[in-house]
Amino acid sequence: MSSKTDKQPMRSAAWRISLWATLAFAFGTMVVFVFLQNFVAGDIQRRSDAWLSGEVETLGDVAERTPKDALYSRVVGEIAELAEREVPNKEADESEPDDSVFFLQSGSDGSLKLWVGAGSGEEPLKATRASRILEDHPTDVRIPGFPIPYRVASIAMDDGSRIFLGLSERDELRVLRFLRLRFLLLWFLIVLLGFSIVFFTTRRMLSHIRRITEAASRIGHSELDARVPTTRRNDEVSQLALTLNRMLDRIENSMHQLHTITDSLAHDLRSPLTAIRGKLEMSLSSVIDGEHAEPIVAAIDELDRLTDFLNKSLDVAEAKADALRLTRSAVDLTDLLRTMTDLYEPSMSENGLRVQLISHGPVEIFADAALIHRMVANLLDNELKHLPADCTLTIESRAEDDTAWLILEDNGHGFDTDVLPHLFERRVKGRDSNGHGLGLAFVDAVARAHGGTVTASNREAGGARIVVSLPLAERQYVTAPIASVSASS
Amino acid sequence: MRLLLVEDEVDIQSFLRRSLEEAGYEVKAANDGKTAEHLAVEGTFDILIVDLGLPDQDGISLILRLRQLGVRAPVLILSARRSVDDRVRGLEQGGDDYLTKPFALAELLARLRNLLKRNSPSAGEATRIRVQDLELDLLRREASRGGLVLQLTQQEFVLLEYLCRNAGRVVTRSMILDKVWGMRIQPDTNVVDVHIYRLRGKVDSAGQIPLIKTMRGVGYVLKDR
Repeated sequence: MSSKTDKQPMRSAAWRISLWATLAFAFGTMVVFVFLQNFVAGDIQRRSDAWLSGEVETLGDVAERTPKDALYSRVVGEIAELAEREVPNKEADESEPDDSVFFLQSGSDGSLKLWVGAGSGEEPLKATRASRILEDHPTDVRIPGFPIPYRVASIAMDDGSRIFLGLSERDELRVLRFLRLRFLLLWFLIVLLGFSIVFFTTRRMLSHIRRITEAASRIGHSELDARVPTTRRNDEVSQLALTLNRMLDRIENSMHQLHTITDSLAHDLRSPLTAIRGKLEMSLSSVIDGEHAEPIVAAIDELDRLTDFLNKSLDVAEAKADALRLTRSAVDLTDLLRTMTDLYEPSMSENGLRVQLISHGPVEIFADAALIHRMVANLLDNELKHLPADCTLTIESRAEDDTAWLILEDNGHGFDTDVLPHLFERRVKGRDSNGHGLGLAFVDAVARAHGGTVTASNREAGGARIVVSLPLAERQYVTAPIASVSASS
Repeated sequence: MRLLLVEDEVDIQSFLRRSLEEAGYEVKAANDGKTAEHLAVEGTFDILIVDLGLPDQDGISLILRLRQLGVRAPVLILSARRSVDDRVRGLEQGGDDYLTKPFALAELLARLRNLLKRNSPSAGEATRIRVQDLELDLLRREASRGGLVLQLTQQEFVLLEYLCRNAGRVVTRSMILDKVWGMRIQPDTNVVDVHIYRLRGKVDSAGQIPLIKTMRGVGYVLKDR
């Protein structure tokens, strides 16, 4: 495939679709994750809170029962240290200073009665006293000197003292951080994978659509028997292709019918014309000169004009329906104009007209040579019939970008302003015209059939101007018509 | 020259038969494909004229069938259709010719002659053509009459050459356009006549016997006697 979107994937619809799809996907999964993380965090906290409440109760129990002697602090301290080993979510890392749990007992006067943990215990005492800690409901406490807050549960003793059990949230936060990191990595991979899958599937699907578009645009007036590619899958794209093909079937069918009608009409009229012409010619050969020949000659002339009229009418009718059949070949418009000018020049100068041919090198078009010949002949016949003596006709051919221009300019009277807008319609002719009014309609028909246009105007300096534009031959048609097919499929 | 005419239109068949017989052909006519096939196999013909729209079959199918049966004679295809079938183009490349209805008799005869000439071994291309006191040197692209060199343009020489090659026979305007300018057009102005008029001014100057004769309603002829 040789399409623009292939070279610039960032500008393709597939890129846009996958970008938006990925964005939506990423956002959705992120929301799910935040929810999940909050859930996990809550759960962890609930578990550690339950542990804290349980432990502080046990410690309270032990403290209650242990006699307040010299061994008290050792017994309670040991129990507290034992509890420390059962800390939930604890990482088995012994290198860090063990400050994940502290045990604190404050006396009824607020003094430090017992401290088990890192440091002196003064700071935690102040911090815990500063924050109001509810019974049975662990609370976050920030202790100066410790970067991570503690979750602290407390219980009141009968003797007015309070027992505090603090659990550092470090482990909990580490678990959550670990979870977040894993998830972000996974999320990134999933989003990337999702993007690639969406991008490649849409690109595949859209490339099929593009093939359909390319094929459909190739199916011009003359190539109606071609069809867009279909796939065996029964998805929307293949249905689009099938629908297009069915539509083309119908168009081809109506074209075929139109051709049948014009063909049979041509046949039914041409056969008697042939017979009449033949008989006239035979009677002409038997007449030995003189007056008798005159009406026969006139009849033959009329008959030829009638035939020409018939051919042009059918051509114009078919072209109006975009159904003119073309036999295309590479044609040099400049060369063609030179030949036509050679043919018409003597008649022009006989009528006192000057012809000037302006060319800017070869102008290659891919066209039906016979039709282009007839089109130019019609234009020149038109000038020959309507241009007054002593006028100059300029014929110019030029190639510009992808268009071939054929420009006819004269310095005669120009077109009647009331005729000008309808110049290329059937049966429109100038006041003094003796033609059948099909000439310019035919010019328009041929130009249209080739995918071109024709416009007529009056020049400001006086005189008429007719401009025919035709598509230039694509390089591939001129050089290698077979290579172009394989290159574009 | 034996000619098989396959044409179902009675009117066309009758005038063609008469004209062809006048032109010296020995004509056998068939109304449909079946009769034509029968006749073509029975007798040998030098040339065939086949109309494309036959009542029982397509003219092209008939020609292809005759080719299969070993009929080698060239075929002039007559067509009243608008478009030229691809198969007709194929036959054209194979040495046959086609003509669209309605046609001038002169053109039909000229095309028949061309087909026959193509089919017979030619005695090599001549480099000089002589018609009465008119002489054409095809190598030097020079024409002279009665020993005097004519000042002709390139285009006029080609036109004169075409008339000389068909000396004594009528050529129509559309034949001239086709063979000299290479285009099948029907101008509704007198473009060809003016070319002939100019050529005649140079070839048939005052005091000489006019060679280029106008056949009214038909075309032109270069007299060879």
